[in-house]
Amino acid sequence: MSKVVVIPCSGMGKVYGLLAREAANKVVNELKKDEAETKCLAYIVTGDDEIRDYMNGKKCITIDGCPKMCAAKNAREAGAEVVEELKSTDFAKQMRAMKPGTATYLNEEGWQVVDAIAEKITTIIDEMEGK
Amino acid sequence: MSDIKIGVVSCSGEECFGGTISRLATRKVLEDLRLGEAVTICLPLFIAGGEEERNFAKVYPTVAVDGCSKLCAMRATEKYSGKVNAVVKVDEIIGKEKALEKVVSLRELPSDYMELVDKVAQEICKEMDKISSDILKKQAEEELKNSGECSGGCCCCGCK
Repeated sequence: MSKVVVIPCSGMGKVYGLLAREAANKVVNELKKDEAETKCLAYIVTGDDEIRDYMNGKKCITIDGCPKMCAAKNAREAGAEVVEELKSTDFAKQMRAMKPGTATYLNEEGWQVVDAIAEKITTIIDEMEGK
Repeated sequence: MSDIKIGVVSCSGEECFGGTISRLATRKVLEDLRLGEAVTICLPLFIAGGEEERNFAKVYPTVAVDGCSKLCAMRATEKYSGKVNAVVKVDEIIGKEKALEKVVSLRELPSDYMELVDKVAQEICKEMDKISSDILKKQAEEELKNSGECSGGCCCCGCK
């Protein structure tokens, strides 16, 4: 199975974008190095043939930080198959993380949300692999 | 503080260290160095958002901040929104090799990262100041032209 592409929105304006970015980072560089990878969302937005060809038909897990769902929409637009659309806001709400940090830095509460999102993605990837 | 608001659009690249520095430098400009003067937009909103988002670079003079030579922030902004006024190329400031290093968590940033963020943030401010100055100069010239007065410089245009 080819690697699952994990795409966070990385939203510049809110802490929820940073939560998404850090969670994706944890999955692709630590928890699921061999099974997952990420691609720059900004590169996907350019619509270049190279990235469109790469993304076409790829299984993706997206993590968005606001209702605009930029990561999910842009991944689909590039031809990817989005198997799961996660929202960092849902995790923060569930964990009652009212102040997880800022759009620049996270606090302890924020890192706990990151860990929870990353754990969820790990479970999804395991299920996709039939583990 | 100038009344002119300038848009700063960062790449936020998830694949390389240059993207992390782009993001952090842009945040530093927004919340510290040019608080109230700089505005931003999430780059992927050009596709996911509506007309309002796509008008961003038409409404605001814009600086693109790119972490690598693909220049995604600049190209995507120009493709979907409007021409950018300046581009800050992070790889030219911190070095190509460093910019292309693997992205790391904020928890594992190298000890010199703040120095790199500062360098890039200063460059963004420099471009913002240049844009503001150009706009103010243009406004002043137009005011003078409308009032029929001369700027005082020798322009040989015959104005008095």
